[in-house]
Formats: sequence, C-alpha cells, structure tokens
Amino acid sequence: MAQLPPQTIQRDPQLFYWILFPITVVMVLTGILRHYATVLMASPPKKVEQPALKEQRSLMHGVAVRSNFHVLTAPSFKARREFLTTAFESGAYLKDPERRGQPPANPMTDPGAMDGMMGMMKNNMAMMVPNTLIMSWINTFFSGFVILKLPFPITIKFKSMLQAGVATKEMDPRWMSSISWYFLCYFGLQFVFNFLLGSDNAASQMAQQMQGMAPQAPNMFGPGVDADKQFQAEAENLAVIKHYSVLDDVEQRLLEGIKTR
Amino acid sequence: MTSSLLRPPGHLSPATALQLSQQAPIIIKNSPGAVTASALSSLFSAPETPELWTIYENLLLSCLRTGDEESAHLCLGRLVNRFGDDNERVMALIGLMKEADAKDDATLEVVLKEYEALLQENPTNIPIVKRRVALLRSIGRISDAVTALTGLLDFSPTDSEAWSELSDIYFSQGLYSQAIFALEEVLVLQPNAWNIYARIGELLLMSVKSGSGDQNDSAKQLGEALKRFCRSIELCDDYLRGYYGLKLTTTQLLNDPPKPSKQAESDGLAPPNLSTLQKLDGLATEKLGEITRRFTAGEKGWQGYEEAEIVAAKELLEKSSSTTVR
Amino acid sequence: MTWFSKSTTTFGFLLLAHACYSAYEHSALQSHRAASLSSLSATTQQAAASSSLPLDISLETIVATVIITLGLVLNTTKLRPIQWRVWAGQIERAGEEGARNSSGEVDKDFVGNPFKLLESRPGFVDIRKQRKEFAEWVKQQ
Repeated sequence: MAQLPPQTIQRDPQLFYWILFPITVVMVLTGILRHYATVLMASPPKKVEQPALKEQRSLMHGVAVRSNFHVLTAPSFKARREFLTTAFESGAYLKDPERRGQPPANPMTDPGAMDGMMGMMKNNMAMMVPNTLIMSWINTFFSGFVILKLPFPITIKFKSMLQAGVATKEMDPRWMSSISWYFLCYFGLQFVFNFLLGSDNAASQMAQQMQGMAPQAPNMFGPGVDADKQFQAEAENLAVIKHYSVLDDVEQRLLEGIKTR
Repeated sequence: MTSSLLRPPGHLSPATALQLSQQAPIIIKNSPGAVTASALSSLFSAPETPELWTIYENLLLSCLRTGDEESAHLCLGRLVNRFGDDNERVMALIGLMKEADAKDDATLEVVLKEYEALLQENPTNIPIVKRRVALLRSIGRISDAVTALTGLLDFSPTDSEAWSELSDIYFSQGLYSQAIFALEEVLVLQPNAWNIYARIGELLLMSVKSGSGDQNDSAKQLGEALKRFCRSIELCDDYLRGYYGLKLTTTQLLNDPPKPSKQAESDGLAPPNLSTLQKLDGLATEKLGEITRRFTAGEKGWQGYEEAEIVAAKELLEKSSSTTVR
Repeated sequence: MTWFSKSTTTFGFLLLAHACYSAYEHSALQSHRAASLSSLSATTQQAAASSSLPLDISLETIVATVIITLGLVLNTTKLRPIQWRVWAGQIERAGEEGARNSSGEVDKDFVGNPFKLLESRPGFVDIRKQRKEFAEWVKQQ
C-alpha cells in the first residue's frame, strides 16, 4: 500500500492564542456561571400542606397494610380492614372533602403544577440561552478556521464531526475546526466542572438528606390525579384480601427448619 | 472508631458514649469546619461527604449526654453553618440543645412554647413535633404527649418511629393492648423487624403476667406470644432475645396451662399441643445453652451479644434446671 | 491465603506479558522475513501461510488469562449471606466483628441491626433523662 505523504498545513501560532484558548476559557466560565445561576434560581422545595401530606401518607399506609397484611393476626387485620375501608370510602383522608366527585382540576390552572413546570423551564433556559449565544459567537467570528491537529491518526468517518464548518473534501480528518472544538468542549468539560465545582449535585443531594427520609412518591400524587378514586380503589383492594398470617404454623416451620439445618 | 459514630448513639452504653465524646475535640479539630460552595476553595479542601454531617449530629448527641457542652456547641454551630437554622432537622437539634441546657422547669416551659410557636408556623415540621412529644413526656405530661403523638400519626401514619414511641408511652402506662396495637402498625410498615416481633411477644407475656384480662384471653395471648417469638427466631438465627422469650413462654404454658378457649381456636392463635411445646422448650434450652457457652468461651464471631442479656439467660437456665431436678 | 492468590495473579500477569512479547516478536520476525523474501522475489504464499500465530503462543495467552482470573477470584473477600435470617443472625451474633473486611476494618456501610432505631428512637430522645443516667453512672465509677 502506498503511503500518502502526510499533509502539512502552515498554521499561524497566533491561532492558538486568539481562538483555541478563548473558546476553551469561555466554555469553562459559562459552565461555572450556569452552575451558580441554577443554584440561585432553584426554588426551595415547596412545603406540603398538612391535609395534602395526610392524604398522601394515608394512602401509603393503606398500601402498606394491604401488602404486609400477613404480619397481623386475623382479628387485628379484620379490625384494621374495617376501619380503613370505611375511612377510605367516606373520604375521611381527602385533602378537600367537598371537592369529591368533581373532575380533577386542570393542571395548567393548578398553581402547584405550574410551579414545577416553571422550574423545568428555568433549567432549560439556563442551558439553552448561553449555548445559543456562544455558538453564534463562534460562527460569526471563527467559522472556517482550522485550529489544531490531533496527534493520532483517525478514520474518515470522523471528518463530519471534526471538521464541521470546513468544506474541504481532501483534508485529513486529523485537522479540527473551531466549531468542532466547541462541541468537544461542550461534551467533554463535565469532568472539569466536577473537579472545579465539586461533584455537581453534591449540595442539593446533601440538603435533601438533611430534610429527612420523607418518602416521596411523585408519580402517585401528581397533579390531575383524582385522590378519591385512588382511595376507592385501595378500599376495594383491601376488601378482597384473603387473609393469612405468617404466625400460622410458625412453630412447626421453626422446628423443621432447625432440624434440617 | 468513627464507624460507631455513623449510627445514632441512643443505645450505646455510658462507657462508649463517654469514649466517643472524649474523642470529640480531636474529631472537630481534624474535620473541616465548613464546606464552602465556592469554586476556588473547594479545590484545596477535602470533599464534602454525607458521613461528615452524620458524624457531627451523633457527636452532638453523645456530647450532650456526657455534659461536654463546649464540643456540642461547636458541632451544632457547624451544622447550622452548613444547613442554616431554618432546616427542620437542625431546628430540632437546636431545641434539643436548649432542653439539655435548661436548669429548671420554667426554662423548659419556654422551650415548649418555642416549639408550639414553630408548629403554629408550620404544622408539618415533623422533627419539631417529635421533640415536643419527647419534652412533654419528659416533664411528665403524658396525656398531652399522647395527644400530640396521635395528632402526628393522624397526618403521617407511615412514621414507624412515631408508632414505636406511642407503643412505649402506652406500655409505660400499663395499657398493653394499645401498646401492642401500635407495635403491629410498626410491623405493617417494617414487616421484617425481628426485634419488634420479639417486643410484641414480650408485651403479650407481660400483659398475661400482670393479670389484666380474663382467663380466656390468656390462652390466646400466650399462644400469640409464642408465635411472635418463633417468628422473630425464624427471621434471625441465634436471636438470644427471641429464644429467651420462647423459653419463658413455653415454661409458662407447660407449668400452668391456660384453659383452652374457643376464641383462640377460631383466631388461629391457640397454643400448640403438648409435644410441640416440649420440643420448642427443648430447642430454646439447647440454643440458650449454646449461646451462653460460646459467648463465655470467647468464641470468635459470637461476641455481639450484650453482657447483661447473657447473664439473664444463664439465670433463666439455672432456674429451669433446678425446678426440673426437684 | 492472600499470599497464595496474589502470587497466582502475579504469575498469570507474567505469563500474559510473555505471551504478548512473543506475539510481538513473532510478527516482527514475520514481516522481516516477508520483506527479505519479497526482495528475493520468491512466492508470497509461503509467507502468508506462516503469518498466523503459532499454537503455543495462543495457548499461553489463554492459560495466562485463566490463571489471572483464578487469582483474582481467590483474592475476593468472603461473600456476605443473602438469606435474611442468616444475615440477621450474623448481626446479632457477631456484632461488628462480622462486618470486618479483609483488612480488618469495619465496613463503612455497616449499621448493625437496622431496626434498632425503632427501639432507640433518636427523634424522641429524652436528653435530660440520659444526662441524669450518665451522671449517676459516673458517680458509680
């Protein structure tokens, strides 16, 4: 196989100082800026009102009784079943009992749901706005510059990735354009940020931990779910349980288990 | 030994607590005081770990217990620095500190008023609700404590710790059936907690011994106690407390068999027949003997038991063997 | 036991390194010979036939991999119980001793009996009573 002579392109060393270096620095700085912007914009977790909390936890309690009924003896299970089914069916645990039977509120008008959506919007904006700005900045000022050469050979497939914005067919894929350098920074700087800012979400996780192990089940209680229907379904589930207990014949199991061991 | 600092120190012996709190100044000096969120300084300081804050919290409890106020204040100060004094858990710790500092009942009343003010503001502040219950119980207003606790359980019935505390309060008042009800709730939430099974068994046994309830009840209660102890052993091999309770129950059932009752039969809680009882009794005796023997011989891997429990088990074994000889 | 597993692993790595070196030498030799043969304008068939790796080098590589794996498997710590009652029994019986890893330190995530919390209840701690009890204990000492 005939070896092609390696391509040589004469580059101005000033390219390094005026393009490669600025792009990198700007990327790092925006990353840090974005981190602090999200920290500042993050709204504190909304306080759950007592009735809402009661509604959630009561339903979870019902689920716990249904799934762990076997730890109870028959009479105490029966008593709990009767109590819980009546309470569930009468809607004693509902957040606002007078709204029973009405269709669930439109999530767009519910202020609680709007809050969550606004939070998501804010995060997305914090991601998108700087990226659009930087990208257009690079496109206006540095489009078409070839700024560095990778120190290792690379196959032709990488050409479209590394030479975005440079329409030269014959050029070795080892050469890299400025816009590609931007993309490389965009995807590859995660570890630099981890190093600079501490493991990215460390702060938020720790705060959550200190909040206590409040079991959150957001899917079950999302906006637009009719809690009354859930309670009715749970009451039905409780009513159809055929009760047995782990205490039935436990002494026989124990004696046999010890023998076989 | 920092690993024991990762666990809440409530159940530790006074000696261990003293040892921990004596380490406190060293630990405080060696750990970072505040983990800053700024980029530059985080480059040069140790990374923040969740363990650090758990250690501070537990150290705070140990120091308060042993009366090392200075270290306790330092720990609390760091927690406040990190999480702010509006964090619910930190608020509870601040309250705890005030309770410990209080010299007389009037100060305690002030602390109680503060708790109530906090709860006015945010009735779902669960750590503060718990502190209030503990304080009410501590100053002897048991019925108020029960009311507050049932209020908490009304809006948060999935809190197993609170159910367990409720059971303990009822037990201290001699209300066995209520205490057992609360413990059953704990089991519903934590279906594999072997110590809770044993605890229910103990409560049933005590309620029979105390003589509350009629003769019909005692067959059922002893039967259930037996089954609860068996279940605790089934969940945990070589569980000293479970075998101890099993031995007590079988002895009671063998020496003084209660009248068989229809209700116990229909609930499936009747005590088993004589041969099964004797087998269970033999099993419990054998296992208790094995555990005490291996513990006193200092065998490796058998040293996790409490000294006091082993002594009690030995006494029980000696008592039962002397009665059989006679 | 650890010295045995460690020496096994080391031996395996040595063997693997040797196999790699042999393969490299072999290929270098082949290309050299092919170059010299082609310069002599001989048939290239012979070179192609002998360009595959000799059997002993492949065998050595496989054996080395197996030995390394064996050494690593032997070096693992004792497996933890997966049955609930055995695990719980170990906690009760051995306490902290049961959770020591090979270097003799208690595991970081060891919590003892996780349900002990239900009986000690840190959220409801009665600090005044604890202080009193502690003061009495100190007096007794």
